[in-house]
Amino acid sequence: MIAALLVMIGIAVFLGAVLGFSAIKFKVQGNPLVEKIDAVLPQTQCGQCGFPGCKPYAEALAKGEADINKCPPGGEEGIHKLADLLGKEFIPFGEGAPPKAKSVAFIDESTCIGCTLCIQACPVDAIVGAAKQMHTIIASECTGCELCLAPCPVDCISMLPIAEDITNWKWRYPVFPIQATI
Amino acid sequence: MSNSKIKIEVVYALPHEQTLLKLDVPPASTIADAVKFSGLLEKYPEIDLAKSKFGLFGKLSKADTVLREKDRIEIYRPLIADPKEVRRKRAEEGKVMKKGGGDI
Repeated sequence: MIAALLVMIGIAVFLGAVLGFSAIKFKVQGNPLVEKIDAVLPQTQCGQCGFPGCKPYAEALAKGEADINKCPPGGEEGIHKLADLLGKEFIPFGEGAPPKAKSVAFIDESTCIGCTLCIQACPVDAIVGAAKQMHTIIASECTGCELCLAPCPVDCISMLPIAEDITNWKWRYPVFPIQATI
Repeated sequence: MSNSKIKIEVVYALPHEQTLLKLDVPPASTIADAVKFSGLLEKYPEIDLAKSKFGLFGKLSKADTVLREKDRIEIYRPLIADPKEVRRKRAEEGKVMKKGGGDI
């Protein structure tokens, strides 16, 4: 009888110690879902979602305070990934975030004065240039976030849509009109 | 081994064609070494080690600057427009300059 009690108490103490130890050792810092969402977002930090960056948007998504269709740089593909991750239905871009044609910034070389303001604004280091040197945008790095447009004092940056060709053509999702049958 | 080389990037950007090369160079290489190593001098004859300006991540640097891991060497081209001239022209047109930009 006493032996059985001691065994049970021993097991309880041991398991309690294991649980207590693992609670301290494997403590999760922050919300792991935020990290996962943040990894899906394009990290342009452009603020087009209405939040001051990708991480705040990820936090709002994790709390369920924001819709998944607010990220134009992520494109429809991004919405699909977020929908899968969060177990939500796919929603197309709403009125707040119109689906623009994917475009990259382009600098008009005849007016650029080499002021570096656009370089400081670029969140992805896609602009090559230094003070009083020609600035050029690396098209493959540009995410099309348009953050460089506002700082330019001579308005020499414009957005050029990327022409659709065989390398970036995508199959459009089929749209079936729903008809009521009586 | 990987620690005997440092990873760097060399960029030369033309308006419609940008070259971004990822290179491994020996430690203590300079900007000039990396530009020679990149092969861009042969591809673009207008780049001149003596005359062209170079920089690291938007900061003008001398060609004998020693590189560090993950540096991006940028080869610059001169401006076409004269900043003073552009400013004068805009003033004549009566346009307001955005000082620093951003707010408007």
